[in-house]
Amino acid sequence: MKKWRFSLFNALNYAFLTLFGLSMIYPFIYILVYSLNDGKDSMMGALYFLPRKFTLENYAQVFENHLIWQAYKITILRTLIGVVLHVTLCTMMAYALSKKTLPGRTFFTFYIFLPTIFGAGFIPYFITLQKLHLINSFWVYVIPLLFNFMHIVIIRTFLQGIPEELEESARIDGYGDFQIFLRIVLPLSGPVLATISLFIGVTHWNDWFSGAYYVSNKELLPVQTLLQQMLTEMEALSSSMQRAAQQGGQTVNVSMAGATPESLRMALLVITVFPILCVYPFLQRYFVKGVMLGSVKG
Amino acid sequence: MNETLLWKRIWRHKLLYLFMLPGIVWFFLFSYVPLYGIQVAFRDFTFSGGFTGSPWAGMKYFQQFFDYYQSSALIRNTIIISALKLLIGFAMPILLAILLNEVRQLKFKKTVQTLSYLPYFVSWVVVVTLMQRLLTPYGGPVNDLLTSIGLLKEPIQFLNNTTWFYQIIVGSDIWKNIGWNSIIYMAAMAGIDQQLYEAAKIDGAGRFRQIWHVTLPGIRNIAVILFILATGSLMSAGYEQLLLLNGPATAAIGSVLDVHVIGAGISQGRLSYAAAVGLFQSVIALVLILTVNRIARKVSDVSLF
Repeated sequence: MKKWRFSLFNALNYAFLTLFGLSMIYPFIYILVYSLNDGKDSMMGALYFLPRKFTLENYAQVFENHLIWQAYKITILRTLIGVVLHVTLCTMMAYALSKKTLPGRTFFTFYIFLPTIFGAGFIPYFITLQKLHLINSFWVYVIPLLFNFMHIVIIRTFLQGIPEELEESARIDGYGDFQIFLRIVLPLSGPVLATISLFIGVTHWNDWFSGAYYVSNKELLPVQTLLQQMLTEMEALSSSMQRAAQQGGQTVNVSMAGATPESLRMALLVITVFPILCVYPFLQRYFVKGVMLGSVKG
Repeated sequence: MNETLLWKRIWRHKLLYLFMLPGIVWFFLFSYVPLYGIQVAFRDFTFSGGFTGSPWAGMKYFQQFFDYYQSSALIRNTIIISALKLLIGFAMPILLAILLNEVRQLKFKKTVQTLSYLPYFVSWVVVVTLMQRLLTPYGGPVNDLLTSIGLLKEPIQFLNNTTWFYQIIVGSDIWKNIGWNSIIYMAAMAGIDQQLYEAAKIDGAGRFRQIWHVTLPGIRNIAVILFILATGSLMSAGYEQLLLLNGPATAAIGSVLDVHVIGAGISQGRLSYAAAVGLFQSVIALVLILTVNRIARKVSDVSLF
């Protein structure tokens, strides 16, 4: 009797978690299918797991678009520059704050902690960006994201775990402070730097807000902002086209083929999401640790 | 003597101060200057006048907000949406962690976990685009599924529809964050002494009683702390999601303070007014978090500070 109850629980649990897992991945499979299917054909609906009329036309057209190329370039550029600078600067700060002998250590820790309790809010921040002439500049993507309190704490906690003796013996060997940082500390910090790179990299890659509200020059918009601008335009457009297709599609011209705004948007979505999907499973064990380190202190 | 010693110590650490310099400057510019700039909420801000040169306006802009015929609706909507997210969005990751914790098949567990983190790594723009596509009544897979299994007679317009608005907001928030937020509970559960489960089994406890008496107490402290932190955001409903999901059709129940601040401040250029609304929001949030922290300390001995 008891045994049976146990396995019922298990069966339900496995079934539920399987459905749950599918609900997490299916939307991505669906857009992939949609983007690989002929646009006009997709409008008929009933497209679920496999492309019905396979084509690469959507991707070809997306890559022909100058604005999309430009946006993709901006996204990649800001992510690369942003990650390198963020990780370098946060690690330097964290290294200094990890030294218990540093005079003023408590003060500086509090100095960077205080703004996390009470922020100024959006408007004073926005005015500050204006005053710093960051509005409508590429650097509005990079500079405001150079530091992050939680990231500094995570790196600092990690660095404190490196045995003091290592640095001491290096000092005896005649290493200077900077050499110790470069040759002892950095090489040992791989895991934590990978975690922080992923966190900040995703933030950069996904940021649409800065592009939408701080930048008006079309040549400077990142991909995410482009997608955001399509949200409202597309909805009206695609639903009216779709309605037309559903009502008349089956009877009218069956050979009708080609890309639609919606199929192009799905192709753009896939090339936006794809890089992240490729990277994150490999970094998973690192970021789980990162969450732990952050929570212990936070 | 002491003083020279301190200077010597400081000099010895000169490289470390150099390392901190960019950070000190950055936090000053991007955190402390805006804090100082809060005063624009009490001034008639002009760009040339800046933070300190614009004339004082007293409480004028706060008054303006409370006189605004929609201010109570804005506050109400914000609290409803964030409370729904707080209550449901807080419980779901715990539930997921408990279910995953009961899985003995490690490979299966790992796969589900990996999949569950996925939506956390895409932007709200991507999530809303996905929703538009999946939920459309014109041949979208969700409506197709629901009609084919007989749950629906005809397709539903899920987005831009007041009937479904809260479900969509809370549902998409959970979908995006549930996996990520469960990490911390999974870790806390991994730290529970396995002997406690053995002991419970010997005492005749079944699966559910083990969960109730061993698993839940094991994550109690971390749950309380996270709950206190979450209450701090009760006055903000999540501006990214609502900027993207709220439209004219749902404005009556979907307009919230966060979006109002951005709209009034940037789109309409009423910076002082928007700053006043934002400040009102931050002060309430601070009071909330302090209150809940105090209650938690009294009731459960767990608190943030």
